[in-house]
Amino acid sequence: MAEISFPLPDLGEGLIEATVLDWLVEPGQQVERNQPIVELETTKSALELPSPQAGKVVRIHGAPGDTINVGEPLIVFEVPDDTAGIVGTVPKDEAPKRRVRLSAVLDED
Amino acid sequence: MSETITAMPGTTDVSAASVHQMSMQQALNRALDEVLADNPKTVIFGEDCGRLGGVFRITDGLQAKHGEDRVFDTPLAESGILGMSVGLAMAGFHPIPEVQFDGFAYPAINQIVCQIARMNYRSRGTLPMPITLRVPSFGGIRAPEHHGESLEALFAHVPGLKVVSPSNPHDAYHLLKYAATRPDPVIFMEPKSRYWQKGPVNLSSAATEVSANDDGTAPSGSLTGARVAREGRHVTLVAWGAMVSRCLQVAELAAEDGIDIEVLDLRWLKPIDAEALARSVGKTRRAVVVHEAPLTSGLGAEVAQLITQSCFATLKAPVERVTGFDVPYPSGDLEDEYIPNIDRILFGIQRVLEYRRG
Repeated sequence: MAEISFPLPDLGEGLIEATVLDWLVEPGQQVERNQPIVELETTKSALELPSPQAGKVVRIHGAPGDTINVGEPLIVFEVPDDTAGIVGTVPKDEAPKRRVRLSAVLDED
Repeated sequence: MSETITAMPGTTDVSAASVHQMSMQQALNRALDEVLADNPKTVIFGEDCGRLGGVFRITDGLQAKHGEDRVFDTPLAESGILGMSVGLAMAGFHPIPEVQFDGFAYPAINQIVCQIARMNYRSRGTLPMPITLRVPSFGGIRAPEHHGESLEALFAHVPGLKVVSPSNPHDAYHLLKYAATRPDPVIFMEPKSRYWQKGPVNLSSAATEVSANDDGTAPSGSLTGARVAREGRHVTLVAWGAMVSRCLQVAELAAEDGIDIEVLDLRWLKPIDAEALARSVGKTRRAVVVHEAPLTSGLGAEVAQLITQSCFATLKAPVERVTGFDVPYPSGDLEDEYIPNIDRILFGIQRVLEYRRG
């Protein structure tokens, strides 16, 4: 298993920080991609942040009321090692499956 | 190819019995580490190659060990990565740039084709381009568009470029070290779907004359030419990169039906080892070429012609091609329908087996 840290992204219009209103997930919880994970408030608006990926939550940063700067760690996920770099999946070595059988009369000339 | 390999000066000394189990990732990483140590003019760079160690971990730890001047990140601009390689090579460096994914080579085609491939020719030999361009290649990891391509025919068509693709960790280690010492530009196509599978790697420089087979045995084949990955009597399967392991699986299945398949791993796609093709097909008298790239104007056509040239009188059937389709390389799960699968390769074998003249 590998850990992937997700930093607070720029939530729009060059905002540099956000305040945590409420966490919607907790460490140990399995989350899906796009599942809301945290409610944040900026100087512009309050919003729910969707999870950038699926995985198990390892750590969350910032209690309600805390301010987090853009680029600082927000949440850490644990993911299986079989993600292939930034995209794709590690292929599994599977036993070969066949439907075609060969038939040939081999003349050994 | 008649060029023989000599051990590189300053290569880390290892005993002849120095066989390790490692993945192709680890083998390539080790090769780059040793090339950096052996040649102070070697520099490695590309997107995420430095601090992160590459998205496939091939350059993992190399920046920390060899310094930020020799292993470094570049902007997301392939034309810049390859353009900078030209300048560095002109200044006496030995660049090993990385294009993060094969599909990202297209923005650098001008630098590769019009500069890197021609500078030596244009300068009448005064400006050689000792550049090894690493390109994680082919499909097999269900990646999105532009992250799985099969560009060997494009590169092989360009005068001045050499093209090579290893199929196993042992070849990856030795071929990369060899490519990095060449005075000519080499396109090094790494089969990304094979990065994680482990195999025996003999680190001894004396092991460059032979290649460890997947079961650890060492059949014939100089590193500068093709390799007989499995010996057989009835049909030769010609493949490279990720398709070699699939062809070896097919050979096992064909054996159940009493058909004895030889698998020839070309390794070098420019120049192609025509003598090895002639030896193998001269014996089996039937050949099937397997590649992931589209059929039309693919490298299979070149291989078929080389076989026809040397074996025309004794061939029992026209050379068959089992390839991808003439469509853009599909992304995600669709690649299962595109990449030659076991049944399609078996059908190709069946066609050359049942062909009758007249």
